[in-house]
Amino acid sequence: MSAEAAADHGDHDHHDEHHHELPFYKKYIWSTDHKVIGIQYGITALLFLALGFYLMMVMRWSIAYPEEPLPSWMSWVFSDEWKARWLQDGRVTGDTYNMFGAMHGTIMVFLGIVPLGFAAFGNFVTPLQIGAVDMAFPRLNMISYWCYLVGGLIMVGSFFMESGAAKSGWTNYSPLANFADGQIVNQFLAGQTQWLLGMVFLISSSLLGAVNFLTTIINLRAKGLTWMRLPFFVWAMLVTGFLLLLAFPPLEVAALMQLMDRTVGSSFFLPSGLYTSGAGIIEASGGGSPLLYQHLFWFLGHPEVYVLLLPAIACVAEVIPVNTRKPLWGYKPMVWSILILGFLSFVVWAHHMYLTGMGPVVSTWFQTTTVLISVPSVILLTSMVVSLWGGSIRFNVPMLWALAFLPMFGIGGLTGLPLAFNLVDLHLHDTYYVIGHFHYVVAPGVLFGLFAGVYHWYPKVTGRHLDTFLGHLHFWPSLIFMNMLFFPMLVQGMAGFHRRWYNGGDAYLSKAEDSVNVFGNTVAEWIYLNPVMSWGAWLLALSQIPFVINFIASIWVGKKIKNDNPYDATTLEWATPTPPPHGNFTFDIAVFRGPYEYSRDDHEGDFFPQWEEPKRDKPAEVPVEEPTR
Amino acid sequence: MEIPYTVTARKDTGLFNAKVGIWLFLASEVMLFGGLFSGYVFLRIYADYPWPERALPVLPGLINTFVLIGSSVTVVFAWAALKMRQWRRFQFFMAITIACAGIFMVLKGLEYNAKWNHQAVRMDDFTIVEGHTHKAVIDEDGHFHEVHEGDDPHGTPFKANAVIFKAERVSFSLVRAHESWIDSMLSQAEERHSKLVAQKQKGTTGIFLYGALVDFEADADKRKAAEEDIVKEYQTAEKIARKIGEKSLYIPDGTPLSYALLKKAREIFIAGRAHNAEIRTGILRTKWKDAHANHPDKGNWEIADEAKITPEDTAGQIVKVLSTLAFEMDPPVPLVLNRSWIKRPIPAKAEQAELRDDTTLAGALQDSPLALAVDAVDFRWMAQKAVEADKDPMKVIESSWIFSDKNEHAAEYKKLWKMHKKRIEKLEEHLVEKYKRDKLGNPKRVSTETERYRMGWKDLLQYAKAEEEGVFPGEEKFDDLRPSMTDGFTGPDHKNADVKRLHAFPELKVPHEKVAMASAFTPKWNTYYAIYFTLTGLHGLHVIGGALVLGYYLLFSKGLYRQNPEWLANRVEVGGLFWHFVDLVWIFLFPILYLM
Repeated sequence: MSAEAAADHGDHDHHDEHHHELPFYKKYIWSTDHKVIGIQYGITALLFLALGFYLMMVMRWSIAYPEEPLPSWMSWVFSDEWKARWLQDGRVTGDTYNMFGAMHGTIMVFLGIVPLGFAAFGNFVTPLQIGAVDMAFPRLNMISYWCYLVGGLIMVGSFFMESGAAKSGWTNYSPLANFADGQIVNQFLAGQTQWLLGMVFLISSSLLGAVNFLTTIINLRAKGLTWMRLPFFVWAMLVTGFLLLLAFPPLEVAALMQLMDRTVGSSFFLPSGLYTSGAGIIEASGGGSPLLYQHLFWFLGHPEVYVLLLPAIACVAEVIPVNTRKPLWGYKPMVWSILILGFLSFVVWAHHMYLTGMGPVVSTWFQTTTVLISVPSVILLTSMVVSLWGGSIRFNVPMLWALAFLPMFGIGGLTGLPLAFNLVDLHLHDTYYVIGHFHYVVAPGVLFGLFAGVYHWYPKVTGRHLDTFLGHLHFWPSLIFMNMLFFPMLVQGMAGFHRRWYNGGDAYLSKAEDSVNVFGNTVAEWIYLNPVMSWGAWLLALSQIPFVINFIASIWVGKKIKNDNPYDATTLEWATPTPPPHGNFTFDIAVFRGPYEYSRDDHEGDFFPQWEEPKRDKPAEVPVEEPTR
Repeated sequence: MEIPYTVTARKDTGLFNAKVGIWLFLASEVMLFGGLFSGYVFLRIYADYPWPERALPVLPGLINTFVLIGSSVTVVFAWAALKMRQWRRFQFFMAITIACAGIFMVLKGLEYNAKWNHQAVRMDDFTIVEGHTHKAVIDEDGHFHEVHEGDDPHGTPFKANAVIFKAERVSFSLVRAHESWIDSMLSQAEERHSKLVAQKQKGTTGIFLYGALVDFEADADKRKAAEEDIVKEYQTAEKIARKIGEKSLYIPDGTPLSYALLKKAREIFIAGRAHNAEIRTGILRTKWKDAHANHPDKGNWEIADEAKITPEDTAGQIVKVLSTLAFEMDPPVPLVLNRSWIKRPIPAKAEQAELRDDTTLAGALQDSPLALAVDAVDFRWMAQKAVEADKDPMKVIESSWIFSDKNEHAAEYKKLWKMHKKRIEKLEEHLVEKYKRDKLGNPKRVSTETERYRMGWKDLLQYAKAEEEGVFPGEEKFDDLRPSMTDGFTGPDHKNADVKRLHAFPELKVPHEKVAMASAFTPKWNTYYAIYFTLTGLHGLHVIGGALVLGYYLLFSKGLYRQNPEWLANRVEVGGLFWHFVDLVWIFLFPILYLM
């Protein structure tokens, strides 16, 4: 409750003033410091990303080598009992594939990327960039993190239940999701119900986080930091915050309704006269609507795409000016674009539902808005590409990731355009084309942007750089294998490969070898890509090992930074000591100019930090003091 | 370190932090309730059954509306008192606010309680009856008897809304068997002097848990081979047993059922399954390796047939695992099964029943009527179905089961229906008289479907009184006999003196196979009650949450008041904003749920 939140923050801060040396558990575990919370989010999210990746590898095995037992290098994580239950003679079954598929999506989206992009970077960087001492409600911030962790643990815990974890796709469509795990008498111990409970925690966490971020940005900006002087990163966080704030509640409604359907037997999403092979005619009132679930889900679902994307764009937009020594090209249009993008993302949701037969009028509306939303996206991407023009680019590791983000996200975006059109979508819906499209957006797109952020801000967090050699060893293979993994999906999708084929089209082929579809491709022609893509996935996993080593080892052995502003950057996070102490700034911060004042003719050196006082026309009587660090 | 703008407002935004926060939070709350309201609209528009319009008693909702509005005013007074630094005044108004929240929740609780204890039944012909379910017992001969007030029943009474099944054999799924259901069956068996014992197998002396049941009556060769098998299997089984620290794998005949026994069997089953899986996985991996070596260029789907496990591959290495255990009921007695345990509908004269935990009962379904005192009969859905099928609704209604000879109480319903029809006839005459006819000669106003096809509890009571006094529809006195708005504050009043005296609520026994859907007035009954409970429940949680926060300010904030009264005023302002929002939500809820 926000009333509580308002009541919360006060006395605690008074306390802190008198106890600078906090005990370990208060400093690192029950911390209210936005930076520590940011790091907590970041590490937890990276662990969840690894888990999501692992689930995907198991799925890819089943697609590439159906009917063949999972190799022991993948299956050793499970206990014998678990394997006996979920792997039939060591093979991935349809049920297991569905479970891993549903949880891969859920974990990657809700437990991996959103917490890493919005919560981790947003928490660490936003207050620093606006010159605030902390978030507006530090204790609420802590509660957000713990809600997130509880939600995540509930989700992961459901893998070990009798029912297994949720199996109805990450979208959890009704009525399928209503009946899944119906055999479990105590519905609260069913994976499908646990998914909903986990979601309620995750959504609450996001809502509290969004309120906190928005209040912080609106009310705690430093003196002189006007709206158009905000770094683009902060703008992106502001828009993301609004998306979370307004888009998540309808999903919470959907989750609550489905929870009611599952636990007290209501029929929100059950049409009348439903029959299942398991239970015959369902003894339920009926009269509900599966379509209602889809509307509520995608009302969140689409803005959620931008919740994933914007933090990555935000990181890239910070990395590019620093490393090109040039202002961000088109800062103002970018700000307007992102605002318009945020607004439009609320009116495009039903393009995920063309197949439900909404009728031509509704479809036309959503086609139009969907095509419209590509305009601000293109403005953002183009501005960042043009920002490179004429810069003296430093090709350091963060910049490599940022540079790779641009074309990769470009592919992701452009492959989305055909899907905006009803007619084309009817053919491509639920094929690997769609999978390829949105993975290009979130994997080589968003993740590359976030990696740029990790490499960029790591020195501010730890005081040491990540190793460059290991960075290259991480970047180049990742770039290659990402494409090896995802590009074939676009080809397969057009040939009609369906996303839910747990054996990658094998069962289908053995029945109809000569299937031809409208693009003239056959499944048989492209099925050989299955192992290629899977090898891409294994190798992609291997290429993350240098990162893990680098990330951990550099804390102790990395190259120390030369000063608090190692990149000669202009935004406020570089005005703090390293790592920034509780309270962040050691001097009274004031902002005198825009965020990206690089290579100005009228200023010595190639950067002019936001916090540096302007020189006066005539020589000052007292020498202008450099800010103390 | 101090966060700025917690007490004073920031100049350019004009707001302190918490106020920005609460407005943002309320924006998300608007989306939350907005989502639910949209759900309401969506469900109502697409409803394929008669939406229960104005189905709730209005009075409690109306009172609650004014209670909440009042509390919204007093919370402002409390805030103003703080601003004027009048602590006692603040306490006074805040206490009233919280008391209002209490009154609201009590009224809500009464409403909920009345609905949860009010049964509704939809029959297979779409007749709907509502009422209070009776208690019943099963006598020693296994017959069903209703229990009425003042009776002295033999046996434990149960709600007459259950499935009564005489079980001879019950088999349990080892992984799923649900403890409390087993306990219920065991205690029922005990009460009827029966017991559930491990099932005898032909020619054996008990159940060997790995399923190696040897048929000792078979011929000698087979028997010898089987004995060798069992020795081998027993050795494997011993190994596994040692692994899980469980020695006894043998259930002798006549072992009584208990949940502990099933649990033990489950452990053994799981361990056995794990053992088998490990062995089979190893074999299959080798097979696939060979298959790939033989056909290096072929995809898995082309060579899958070559990599299959045959029984010879696993011989002597794996154990047979039992996933279910069967028990005999000795002697067979009727068990009362809760309707919600049943997995799929049980047809009349069924010889098998399946529960949701995969327990199967073999035996015979007994007479399992749903017996209730009816306070409303509703033919609206039936009429709708009749119109859809292009039939005359009145004919369909009058030929329905409730008026047929198969219903032992049919006479009472016929009498009521006659009175009802007469009343509607008079009503229509009155409408024509009052509103005249249009140019085509059709009446400008007609009775509503609810008036025509539904006999509610007030109708039933009115008809009973009219019957008693010999008054008939159309006579002036008839209208005076109708219960008023204040009668039955939260719904049908079964304790009403007139109802009892006149037996105004007739009895009904709906046979098991006629019940298409039975439910109390809970979210299960239909989507209207689902959205009603979701909306008001979520709103109620907001009321409780808000009251807790405001209560905290009232009881534990004297210290802050002395230190920094302005800060406390800020908190109360923020809490008050939330409270206004909660009030506003109710102002939308009341008309859409109670009046429309």
